[in-house]
Amino acid sequence: MPRRLPYALAALCALALVTQSRAQDAPMAATPPKCPEEAAPLPAELALWSAPTALTAATLPEDAGKAEIKLGAAVKAALFHTPEVKYAVRPVKPGGSVAYGGLLHIAIAEPGTYRVALGNASWVDVVKGGEAVESIHHGGGPACSGIRKMVDYPLQQGEYFVQISASGDAQTGVLVVKLP
Amino acid sequence: MITSFLRAALPVALMMCAAGLAAAQDVVYPPNNPSSPMKIELGRRLFYDADLSINGTMACATCHEQHRGFADGNRTHPGALDHPGKRNVPGLQNIALLSHFTWASRVADLEHQALTPLTGVSPIEMGMKGQDAELARRLAANACNVKLFSAAFPEKKGEISLTTVTQALATFERALVSFDSPYDKSEKNGQKLPADAEAGRELFRGKGRCNSCHSGTNFTDDAFHALEPAAPADHGLAEESGRAEDAGLFRTPGLRNVMLTAPYFHDGKARTLPDAIRRHGLSITLSDAEMDEITTFLATLTDRSFLFDPRLSLPDEACPL
Repeated sequence: MPRRLPYALAALCALALVTQSRAQDAPMAATPPKCPEEAAPLPAELALWSAPTALTAATLPEDAGKAEIKLGAAVKAALFHTPEVKYAVRPVKPGGSVAYGGLLHIAIAEPGTYRVALGNASWVDVVKGGEAVESIHHGGGPACSGIRKMVDYPLQQGEYFVQISASGDAQTGVLVVKLP
Repeated sequence: MITSFLRAALPVALMMCAAGLAAAQDVVYPPNNPSSPMKIELGRRLFYDADLSINGTMACATCHEQHRGFADGNRTHPGALDHPGKRNVPGLQNIALLSHFTWASRVADLEHQALTPLTGVSPIEMGMKGQDAELARRLAANACNVKLFSAAFPEKKGEISLTTVTQALATFERALVSFDSPYDKSEKNGQKLPADAEAGRELFRGKGRCNSCHSGTNFTDDAFHALEPAAPADHGLAEESGRAEDAGLFRTPGLRNVMLTAPYFHDGKARTLPDAIRRHGLSITLSDAEMDEITTFLATLTDRSFLFDPRLSLPDEACPL
């Protein structure tokens, strides 16, 4: 038996434990970039990040259809204080009473890996059929882009809620794109 | 009638549940902050309550995630206002059995330690310095909190203050007991671990001499060591003590649930366990196979029952009282 197997097994077991919950806290760089000198170019799929349209998030799942977002089109979502929001699924990190949150809705036409980009470090859950989808990757956005956090999800065709919680701001940018 | 029965039974069930937590290990409680099931439950709710941060975005549990042994998966974690973090988030299992907390501090007890993330400014984590009145206002606005503080602090007439908040948090933290890993079962039953893990245990205690610092039931000597010269960005214990001789000193971290707490070291710059082991500057050389065996042994310190114990998890929204 190859000698690397025990470590691989141990690491896999640990990974399996860790991924049973949705991890997505996106750390900042230890030293924030100098903007605009150190600005990184936006990848093509995020190009519309800088041209958001205004949208008011829903406070109830049944109203989320009024907060429809389109794939590849950025919105600046107006949010509500946490106690005013009833989520489809309770967020893992719900946010305090003074934080903000809300629900958006998106239709996904084909299976793939989708990225949710946010303008701040809010918690985000993508929910379908009463269950939050496990994220598969998270990180920060390109330097100086205004994208604070990006979380990737494997999604199937269908209707999804995009739940924002624990936002420190009353509004935040949101953009969902399909990764190549 | 059923509803009123359930309402009456809930506190009893809660007390029994939390009492089980407290009885799991002989933890010494400070005379001025005795434990009670209600105080543990209140502490748990506060631990998961993001209203303990300036903008409601960060609870203790934001960084201390149960499924990672109450540590975190990032090098460092930014604060509620997005100030960069400074040190890697340490796990909290069995913290009541330690004399020192976090990476480089001689703070006397968990009640005072809680003030570091809550009100500390270097770095700013939860950002509540000078916000005592606002904290009390937020918590008192929740009727469930009022009931829980009354039940947990009858001698203080349910006082909601920074003092009672930190006392409740500390009481919950003392209930974070983890002694049910495969390693513990092996120790109790005298049964061997799988061969690779046994080989790793021998290396840990023998050739590697890991247990010269990672000793005792929590795999830490609870002491401060300087493995490297102090880095300009972090002088270790000297930052608190102001003593030059404390520069570069950091507490030996415990190793329980260590497989789930990557990255490692106070700066989170060791990506994997082998990276962390190599960074110790050992005078001996460990082969890849030996490194694997030590890692396999350390994996036996993972306590699944602790990581998914619902009594330690995000509490239900419904008020237990």
